[in-house]
Amino acid sequence: MEQNTIETDVLIIGGGTAGCLAAVELRERFPGINVTIMEKAHIDRSGCLAGGMNAINAYLNPGETPESFVKYVRFDSCGIIREDLVMSMAELFEYCVKKVEKWGLPILCDDKGNYIPRGRWNIKINGESLKPIIAKAAKNAGAKVLNWVVATNYIVVDGRVTGAIGLSIRNGNLFVIKAKATIIATGGAAGIYKPNNAHDAQHKTWYCPYNTGAGYAMGIRAGAEMTSFEMRYIGLRVKDTIAPTGTIALGVGAPQINSKGEKFMAVKYANIGGDGAPTPYRSHGPLQEIKEGRGPVYLDTRHITPQQARDLKSAFLDMYPSMVLYWAANEIDPSKEPVEVQTTEPYIVGGHTQSGYWVDINRKTSIEGLYAAGDVSGGAPYKFVSGCWAEGVIAAKAAGEYIQKASFADIPQEIIKEERERVFQPLLNHTHKKEGIKSYDMEVRLQKIMEEYAGGAATFYEVNEERLLVAKRRLSTLPEQFQYLMAEDLHELMKAHEVIDRFYVAQTLVEHMLYRKETRWPGYCTRTDFTERDDDNWLKFVNSRRNPATGNVEVFTRPYEQVVPGDRYKPR
Amino acid sequence: MPVIIHADKCDGCHGSQNPPCVRMCPGDLLMKDPKTGKILMRDPAECWDCLPCVKVCPQEAIEFKLSYQLGFHTAKLLPHIHDTRDFITWELRDTKGNTDKFTIRTKILPVELDEKIEGVTAVDFSI
Repeated sequence: MEQNTIETDVLIIGGGTAGCLAAVELRERFPGINVTIMEKAHIDRSGCLAGGMNAINAYLNPGETPESFVKYVRFDSCGIIREDLVMSMAELFEYCVKKVEKWGLPILCDDKGNYIPRGRWNIKINGESLKPIIAKAAKNAGAKVLNWVVATNYIVVDGRVTGAIGLSIRNGNLFVIKAKATIIATGGAAGIYKPNNAHDAQHKTWYCPYNTGAGYAMGIRAGAEMTSFEMRYIGLRVKDTIAPTGTIALGVGAPQINSKGEKFMAVKYANIGGDGAPTPYRSHGPLQEIKEGRGPVYLDTRHITPQQARDLKSAFLDMYPSMVLYWAANEIDPSKEPVEVQTTEPYIVGGHTQSGYWVDINRKTSIEGLYAAGDVSGGAPYKFVSGCWAEGVIAAKAAGEYIQKASFADIPQEIIKEERERVFQPLLNHTHKKEGIKSYDMEVRLQKIMEEYAGGAATFYEVNEERLLVAKRRLSTLPEQFQYLMAEDLHELMKAHEVIDRFYVAQTLVEHMLYRKETRWPGYCTRTDFTERDDDNWLKFVNSRRNPATGNVEVFTRPYEQVVPGDRYKPR
Repeated sequence: MPVIIHADKCDGCHGSQNPPCVRMCPGDLLMKDPKTGKILMRDPAECWDCLPCVKVCPQEAIEFKLSYQLGFHTAKLLPHIHDTRDFITWELRDTKGNTDKFTIRTKILPVELDEKIEGVTAVDFSI
């Protein structure tokens, strides 16, 4: 348990989609500065992109503009987004995609060399190796990579983030990184709710199960302002494998049908786009069919040719290979029978919905010296891969400029000592053979509270004031229990901190769900006591800040500002 | 039971301290058994089924299996990386033994058998 102390101009926490692009941008734009990436796994295959990607889902196909993208995302998010943020990322899609293509990403083109569109905002790629490609670019650009170092907390001195502390899960060293500026890019949070599958398939989740909300939790603990946690992400996915459905729905044009063969989205949601309704409704619609006894629900693929079925499998092999094995192992031919779908566990992920740090146009958070990019950053949904790249670039520019005038801070020894004790306590509990709690048991406890009282799949994601108050009360006891966590090795120690981090995400989430007294996103967060959308009172952002001294969470609102004119509930 | 390591094929990448499969697992789930020198899976329940470990193994010693609750036995999906590294061929077998092959363009980057970990020793970074 040695201590490694490093000084770096910019620290990037999380070497994923946003982090890698931020590293390259910093080194290209500000030659000579040093950039360090703190990564909990190995940068070559860490995080969301480990398995690959088969499409870039935020791209301006011919005829589209940043303004038309903002209009669509606003429609898809039921009338409220940070339009300034979404606009600024859309302006950089072309720059980022061209850059990554140059690094070697195969993008599918037609005979004339144009990208092949898959819907208004999507292009097809052969992205099995997307992660190693962007990781190599970050390394080639000269970023120093600390693999297997798990970030545990920011170092905050005089109200400014001046670096972070991390735990090496390879040698147990404590890394103290002093930085002039810090970019947080750790992704969102899975594992807050009971996962879709149990037993040896509990991590058969759609969102990366190793994204455990560390960046959210560090920000919450440091008192950063957070936004829109109540806009949970509950996706429509293929039953059992929890594989993405865009590959099918957009790839071969498959409408949703219920067990009676009725195209319920086309019929019941015609006024908001039918099968092209906003994403929350595409989860809400099938849930109502199942609730009212017309399940299972499917994507109807029976019209596709055998060649299209093969193409579909090829597309999944680039991103989600288990889908193809699942069909083979269950004798399912998607050209002969429809593909059954279900909804996911609720995730907190600012790249699909908009939960995360409240940031300004430069992705600067409410704490001096700290910038946020990618899934951990709030207010800008529909980022997916290319939007995370764009935010990495924007945050890099701002952090690079900030460090020109910033210096390293003196870090009081007691901050490090306190964090060292907090980080290693579960390991010491094991060494001293204290009676305690395994991280897995606490994870199940957390997930049980959230599932049953804070709108899990078992209750059709519905919440009301009374249930949420039970969740709030039960959660409030958990922090006192952290002292009993046990870890027998460094892997278990990482997991102990993952469950602690997820607690802070869960606590903030419950506060946000309690505060928004309307149902803006049916399916994501359906309030049975406030069933309607209420633009008169709730066309605003719900934000929160936890007081680091008292632990109290203050919840308040911020106004929504319309930048692009037009009907907020229309896709064009 | 998401991935299994075939002990007859795994050579632990010889003296490698951090073999490719150990490095590529985003969940820190694979480790080298100090006694046998072969690879062990810490906990199958933590596996995401993402397959970088399967694709990177030079011996093709790691096989992806669906959890039995999700699919029947004997179906297989085996990726083979072409020597040119610009294609990957997936060999698929269903429960009846019918086979199919999918060859897809990619860009596989070379992977070393071992890699030093940055900052393992305190001396490296002491200031």
